[in-house]
Amino acid sequence: MKAKHSASTPTSGQTGSVSVPSSFVGKFSVALALAGFSMGAMAQFEAPADGVYKDRIDWGVMMDLSGPASASQGIWATGFQAYMRKLNETGGVNGRKINVLAEDSRFNPAQDKINYEKLVGQTPVLGISGMGSSSSQVSLAPTIRSGKIPIVGTYTSTKPLSEPVSPLVYGGFCGYPQMAQTGVGYYAEQLKLKAPKVMVVSIESAGGVEYAQMVAAAAAKLGGTSSLVTMKITAADVTPQVLEIIAQKPDFITIYGVPNTAILTMKAMQQYGLKIPAFGISYLLSPQIYAAMGPEAGANYNVVSCFTPGGTDQAPGNREMVAAADKYNHGAIKEDINYVAGWAVGQMAAEAIAKTGAEPTRAKLVESMNKGFSVDTKGLAAPITFTTDNHTGPVAFRMIGYDFGAKKYKPFGEFADYLKYTK
Amino acid sequence: MFAQVLFSGLALGSIYGLVALGFAVVFKATDVFNFAQGMFVVCGAFFAVTAISLLGLPFPLAIAAIIATSAALGVVIHVLLIQPLAGRPMLSVIMLTIALSIVLRALIEILYGPQGRTLATPLPAGIFLIGGVRISQLHLIAALVSWACMAGFGAFFKFTSVGLLMRATADNHEAALVSGVNVNMMNRLAWAIGSVLAGIGGLFLGQLQIVSTELESIGLLALPAVVIGGMQSIPGAIIGGLLVGLIEQFAASYISPKSSDILIYVLLMLILMFRPWGLFGQRELGRV
Repeated sequence: MKAKHSASTPTSGQTGSVSVPSSFVGKFSVALALAGFSMGAMAQFEAPADGVYKDRIDWGVMMDLSGPASASQGIWATGFQAYMRKLNETGGVNGRKINVLAEDSRFNPAQDKINYEKLVGQTPVLGISGMGSSSSQVSLAPTIRSGKIPIVGTYTSTKPLSEPVSPLVYGGFCGYPQMAQTGVGYYAEQLKLKAPKVMVVSIESAGGVEYAQMVAAAAAKLGGTSSLVTMKITAADVTPQVLEIIAQKPDFITIYGVPNTAILTMKAMQQYGLKIPAFGISYLLSPQIYAAMGPEAGANYNVVSCFTPGGTDQAPGNREMVAAADKYNHGAIKEDINYVAGWAVGQMAAEAIAKTGAEPTRAKLVESMNKGFSVDTKGLAAPITFTTDNHTGPVAFRMIGYDFGAKKYKPFGEFADYLKYTK
Repeated sequence: MFAQVLFSGLALGSIYGLVALGFAVVFKATDVFNFAQGMFVVCGAFFAVTAISLLGLPFPLAIAAIIATSAALGVVIHVLLIQPLAGRPMLSVIMLTIALSIVLRALIEILYGPQGRTLATPLPAGIFLIGGVRISQLHLIAALVSWACMAGFGAFFKFTSVGLLMRATADNHEAALVSGVNVNMMNRLAWAIGSVLAGIGGLFLGQLQIVSTELESIGLLALPAVVIGGMQSIPGAIIGGLLVGLIEQFAASYISPKSSDILIYVLLMLILMFRPWGLFGQRELGRV
């Protein structure tokens, strides 16, 4: 973290009754005046059209805060704001506080379009983080990619927005191709499978189909096969899907969807006496999910994640986040993967702003980020590096399970141990 | 496979039928098409979370608390919102129930936070085998309780004096009023029953799933159930619920999960076009 966390303010000296040589006083006065001038100029810099003011920078967040995805995206936004709050308590970035303007998309692309225009022109911000709706990303992609405001730390990743690489878009959550490669590779190795037979259990969505294709590619790379079974996002019973799993007899399954998708699948498999190992995508990691599954069903369920939830280990970044979460009364959600992801994207945004220097503008921010930058999350994730050609975001993963006895997550190995699956 | 899907469809349909029954009771008694019925399911689930997980009440006491608070919710909504709109066009009341569901959703998210809650009850979660069919104990209990509620309320309407008064009120408000029936009291009771049935549905759906405001969409499957069965018909609501559950499970098993929406709502459209009073409702004839 290279951001300066202390504000610099011009000060004037006072000689009082102490006698000093006149030549020294003259040189000192000139130096002081120059210093004061330059510091003053820095503190005076403003670019209101870009959301930059003397004492603060406005930064936008576009997430679903009250709609169907608010249970996860609202927590992400809380994690993001918590990091910015902590940053502001230590002086902000280069003397400016970060003022987060969070806009509620309600998981509605039309609302996101309004929010985006608002953050571009009406209440201008330096950059935007989040964008949790893939539909919004797809519909806004041409506007964003031809615009001037960067999206730093996307919550989800879609091809229209992120491919080809744009200097205006930077990933902020675990990438699906890497999730598929890591999960399939890890399970194939652990189960000693030469040609893994994988099954994807997914909600009916474009993202689910895309993820299934990635899993199929990862399985094919190992000489295996993959199939897909879908369910409604609001399913209350998944008997048909479990009967399909019984018919297909996969070596392991991977789950894409919402918490309910994982809970129903694992509970139903338990009821049918199936003990097929399963892993969920990163979004499906929360203590509530494990609690709803119960120890028996939850024992077969792990999650492939690029972030380490609060309290899972003693990494400095994790302890720092947990301390802040407790201080801000976020203790109940610090173990949620979304909180960690929001916090990490906060670090990402702060690093990007700090790198831009004392006089940030949208153009300078885009130029500086496009040259490449790294974010050290102090162990919350593997170091996140952006280069001119690669804006993927977190690419290192590890498998995380749950210890029902200790009521804590249990990570399997380190991020570095899993890099072989994504190479 | 057929028997397995049949059982899961009947179990799921029983819960839909329970919620639909509440919907039908309210509609029959007060002529209100309650679009907030799905949120009543959510409220019931959150009442259960409060009583069981947050307050740690013993399970029987928690059930009593869920029923009491659900009933109170129905009564309060009737007194504060529905009764003042008596005599207004149906559209106003429909808009009110839609607004009510939005308000309830927001209130719940403010009070409980946006993240889902786990509902752990002492109800058994295992399975047993009957002739090769795996029967989920929780599904079976949900189905049995739903059927018991349906039978109980059916008997209440048929054999008790209060039930008789409610039916009389539902059939003809003016005649009941002239006969000295406290129509407002009967309507409040109908809203209380509707809310309690939704609350019990919420208790089971909350345990089958995770408790969140997203349960509303499952609760709203009571709408096609009640239209298919007949909006004025108590048995129709139950059969409609079962039909919706069966269609959902068989469609997901033999076609695709998405196809269940097509089948359910195409059936609803056909019913509205050719038999608008539903499969078990009574055709209203008027003299000109």
